[in-house]
Amino acid sequence: MKTLWCLTLILAAPLAGCGPLDDDEKGTGELNVNSRYTVESVHVNGGNFRLPEPLRILINSFVGEKFDRSALDKVADRLRADLHVTDVKISVTRGSDPEHVSVEFQVKPQTFDLLMGRSLYASKEGWSGEGGATVNVHGNGITFGLLSDGDSMLERYAGIRAKFERKNVGTDRLHLRFEFESYHEQWNLATLDAAQPGEIYRTRQVYSPMATVVIFQPLELDFGVSFARLRVPFSAPIQTEGGGAAAAKTESSNAVVSTLRYHQRWGSEHGQEQQEVNASYGIEAGSNLLDTDQVFTRHLLRGRYKNRHARNTVEVGFLSGVLHGNAPLYQRFALGDSTTLRGWNKFDLDPLGGSHVIHGSIDYGYRFLQVFYDAGAVWDRVQDREPKQSAGVGFKKECFQLAVAFPLRSGRATPIFYAGMKF
Amino acid sequence: MRTIKSWWLILAFLSGFALAMMAEEMILNWRDNRLEFSAPRVHFLGGRPLELLHNAAPVPFDFQVTLWSGSRTHVFQKLTDRFVISYDLWEEKFRVIKTQSPVRRIEHLSAVDAEKWCWQQMSMDVNGVGASEPLWTRFEIRAEDAKDGPLFGGSINDSGVSLARLIELFSRPPAQQSHWGPFDVGPFTLDELKRSVRRGS
Repeated sequence: MKTLWCLTLILAAPLAGCGPLDDDEKGTGELNVNSRYTVESVHVNGGNFRLPEPLRILINSFVGEKFDRSALDKVADRLRADLHVTDVKISVTRGSDPEHVSVEFQVKPQTFDLLMGRSLYASKEGWSGEGGATVNVHGNGITFGLLSDGDSMLERYAGIRAKFERKNVGTDRLHLRFEFESYHEQWNLATLDAAQPGEIYRTRQVYSPMATVVIFQPLELDFGVSFARLRVPFSAPIQTEGGGAAAAKTESSNAVVSTLRYHQRWGSEHGQEQQEVNASYGIEAGSNLLDTDQVFTRHLLRGRYKNRHARNTVEVGFLSGVLHGNAPLYQRFALGDSTTLRGWNKFDLDPLGGSHVIHGSIDYGYRFLQVFYDAGAVWDRVQDREPKQSAGVGFKKECFQLAVAFPLRSGRATPIFYAGMKF
Repeated sequence: MRTIKSWWLILAFLSGFALAMMAEEMILNWRDNRLEFSAPRVHFLGGRPLELLHNAAPVPFDFQVTLWSGSRTHVFQKLTDRFVISYDLWEEKFRVIKTQSPVRRIEHLSAVDAEKWCWQQMSMDVNGVGASEPLWTRFEIRAEDAKDGPLFGGSINDSGVSLARLIELFSRPPAQQSHWGPFDVGPFTLDELKRSVRRGS
């Protein structure tokens, strides 16, 4: 365990030292004859959106400064990311005063989009995939999607997901969303053998109204409630009062959900250097106040740091979680999927998942080539805690990835192949 | 009847000559033991690169010229250079910076003059080449506007791969030209060049 904590500290060390990149683009100005001119005005046009305050301040800071095309390209990148649009064009024209130029960012809003969210083939678990359609009307986003996922949880769940989202509720610091999910579950034999009767459910429906408050960029707080209904089959049909037979009962798992998120990015994807930090702490509390059958508290801490320098990329990831009380299986922690302890079969580690988890990973990439190392443990009782390690190699281009990973253990180690997109 | 046939012959000859002239894009010249290149009909300052330049973006152009001597397998010399061109929005003139040693820079040029200056900078020292030795040259230009661009033209974002954007991407007409050449000339000899200007296509 100490080894794991040491590893985690070593992996997390770069987080402490990261700061804004030096955006000095020496020589770029020399190459562009227009760098001698002063920026007269900067406008963002083309959509029904409100610019986040920090972005608006950044854009206004260009006025009165010398023209710097590479810095404007970085702002276009941020506009694409922050406004969730696919196309931002920069138009530069002569200003009204001599030796001045005007800059316009032309944002092309997308009202309808079809998205291929995630797809994965893992040699142990088979296919997982997600796709959907999004419509954006007057600042409201409506998404409808289909998915089948055998990777991220102990169960394979397949079904629909629908979401309504409004990114500006009076202020751009407050977002609202309502999400509905309805899934049918399939279970691995190892889980069925280890589970108690009543732990296995056949369907899961979740309704979650949530709000997001932007405390200050890039720190956000999500809060809301999650109402889940689980269809739990009886081992044998039971007689009801009306004389009929019931094969299953419905249980509820309702919880208050709150997540604090931090996401910061420095540099540009077009530049030589880029750094990115993603961190979150989430708590879910299933309380009797919400009329739930499952009373529990779940804490999850996640962190991910990425540093790209020219063709070299290093990514360091960390997660830690604790679960108290009696939670449904989909809330329990599992390792051994396409992002944690890659190469291990999650049903060999713990077919019912654990109430405690800790995990660290380091990925290094040079151009398309990628190597990675994972270490972690999942357990219920301290005496069952057993740290595991794995390593692998692969190819990665943008979000497309092909990898083979091995569990690091004595004896025969069967590799697992992963192929897909955004996993 | 005989008069009509003669006219047809003259017309056919003139058409062939005109077509041949149009096909010749690169002109070679020999001066002070240097091989000089020019291509008055090749305009790389057009299309997508020109659109970027008019939008105050600098555009790098990579030039490469190869000279073979004796046979097509023996490379006598290969020159590569990068020219970064930008367009002055107020003066409506071009600035060109030759980035390889010796670094050179020129401003206040029209599009044609900017192109011509780039060609001139690629002249090649041919000391050591026999006057009657057969020679071949190849010239290529490449604009670096989308060389290292994203795999699917920005259709991938945090939410996934946008199928609508992919459909739009694949429905577009073929991309604007960003590669010119290769322009091949040869075989020729320095003796021939000294006597006349050599054209190639």
